[in-house]
Amino acid sequence: MKPGKRVTGMTSIKWMGLLLSIFVFFIPFIFQFEELSVAGHRVLAIFLMAIVLWVTEAIPLHATASLIIFLNILLVSDKAMMALPEDFKAPTYSSFFYALANPVLMLFLGGFFLADGAAKYKLDKNLAKTLLKPFGTKPSNIILGLMLIVAVFSMFMSNTATTAAFMAVVLPVIARLSPSDRGRIALVLCIPIAANVGGMGTPVGTPPNAIALGALNKADIHISFLEWMMMIVPFMLILLVFCWQMLVRLFPTKAETITIEIDSAYDRSPKAIIFYVTAAVTILLWFTEPLHGIQSAIVGFLPVVVMLSTKLITDKEFHSMQWSVLWLVAGGIALGDGVGKTGLDKWLIGLVDWEHMAPGMIAGALCVAALLFSTIISNSATANLLVPIGISLTASPDIAISPITSAIFIAIGSSLAMSLPISTPPNAIAYSTGQIQTKQMALTGVFIGLVGMLLFIYAAPLIWNIFGIMPD
Amino acid sequence: MNRIVILCVEDEAEVREAILRDLAPFKPQMRVEAAEDVDDARAVLRECAQDDDPVGLVLCDHLMPGVRGVDFLIELMKDPAYEATRKVLLTGQAGLEDTIRAVNEARLHHYIAKPWRAEELLQVVRNQLTEYVLSTQEDLMPFIAQLDGPRLLEAIAAGKRG
Repeated sequence: MKPGKRVTGMTSIKWMGLLLSIFVFFIPFIFQFEELSVAGHRVLAIFLMAIVLWVTEAIPLHATASLIIFLNILLVSDKAMMALPEDFKAPTYSSFFYALANPVLMLFLGGFFLADGAAKYKLDKNLAKTLLKPFGTKPSNIILGLMLIVAVFSMFMSNTATTAAFMAVVLPVIARLSPSDRGRIALVLCIPIAANVGGMGTPVGTPPNAIALGALNKADIHISFLEWMMMIVPFMLILLVFCWQMLVRLFPTKAETITIEIDSAYDRSPKAIIFYVTAAVTILLWFTEPLHGIQSAIVGFLPVVVMLSTKLITDKEFHSMQWSVLWLVAGGIALGDGVGKTGLDKWLIGLVDWEHMAPGMIAGALCVAALLFSTIISNSATANLLVPIGISLTASPDIAISPITSAIFIAIGSSLAMSLPISTPPNAIAYSTGQIQTKQMALTGVFIGLVGMLLFIYAAPLIWNIFGIMPD
Repeated sequence: MNRIVILCVEDEAEVREAILRDLAPFKPQMRVEAAEDVDDARAVLRECAQDDDPVGLVLCDHLMPGVRGVDFLIELMKDPAYEATRKVLLTGQAGLEDTIRAVNEARLHHYIAKPWRAEELLQVVRNQLTEYVLSTQEDLMPFIAQLDGPRLLEAIAAGKRG
């Protein structure tokens, strides 16, 4: 194949998506809805376009995000290209650009730096080696150990990177098992499951968490790193233990013992030690916000500054960071901003008669919607589309759920979707090993989705209220 | 998806059959092609180019009627379309001088001496294709099951970390 011969890589679905997105964009310009402001119509157009683009991935997810910011500026900001009514208080154009530097993004960037450093100085492999030792060689214990470690890592690192790194460790073990040993399925599945579940645990665990937090920040609700963890981690652990039991029962290992060999030794070079200290201080400060009051986003910038100035992260590594993830989150924040500032939120809520619905049901419905959506489309795109709706629901006096519940349930719901290889990148990685079938992933994924949903919708709010964990 | 081509150039029919038998495990995912001499190999390359199938690996004998293996590999090296292609000699009769030319001018990636063991051949092909995929493909996931899974996974992890 001559270089450059494959030009677009566009499938027919993507072309359809592109055309459809343009079509839906014009709907609010052609049909006028009563009680929706002029600006609201324009943001509705952006919203509809975003839905189609994020579902079909006609253009990259982060490209859609940049388009949202751009269109918001062109259509509803104080520098809009089309005239807006006099009585509309247009947001400044810079407020839409600010989405790209939202504090939540800085928090996430801090997470990127820690993850990069951990990989560079092999802290991940070494910690895994040390932490796996106490679990011995009994297969079910090893699986529990792996799941706990993967979950803890993916609380701070990307779920995808964690899954890929640990799958690389597990594949040689699987190669040594007999082909008829169903334990291999448990070993392969436990990693993406633990990574998906672990991602729920901290604000930096996975982008939907950042999207939820970013939207809450905009509504002047601040949740600290520790508060998030106190709300989520206990249930995350319960869910993890359930997943472990399910896997070892469904796919018992025939082999009496398995050993995981990780070949690495702790790096004791001065640079590595600077990194260990930076990481420890950052995480410690995240955990102790109530004591010192320094917000987690500000703390998150510490590793950025330290690692850049000590060249722990080189220029090349800095350039190859996952900036697209940050832009995607920013797109969601800008979308939510537009929805909130143009009154589109109130109009959307007005479409449904909420009075006859119990608050628990509404919160549950959001969680279920997030789960269903993100089974098919990207978790971040799901959160980007649903969080603005979820938050605006809480603005209505008829609906007695807090914005926190609403935003967190959407984030959790999108992390709970793991029944198909396409549901999350970790699932795709597990599937690509060729060791498992879709039906096995679907079986475990649906179970986890259901149990996780029940746990978070019914048990979690109860416990949060009893212990007064829920911030007001 | 376009399939990656493994091209095997070998003049002796029996040997060619043996190589193809050994390469069978790659068949479901890769396009395994055989040619009996360099002219034939060029024809195969044209066909693959028409189908837009990229050539990942050329496994080539040296002593053949017509153009010799090393000269063919050098010719490939000069064509930008096959710059990334992994080049392996599978031969018993390449002299020192030809081998040196293969290394210097064709950037030979590996030399397998005849007679070879099936296991060794599989391992070399797997490693070479892993290198090819790492240097040319954006999406590594489709190759995890067939090629060097742990290496590809490490590369995926490195790309998605932060």
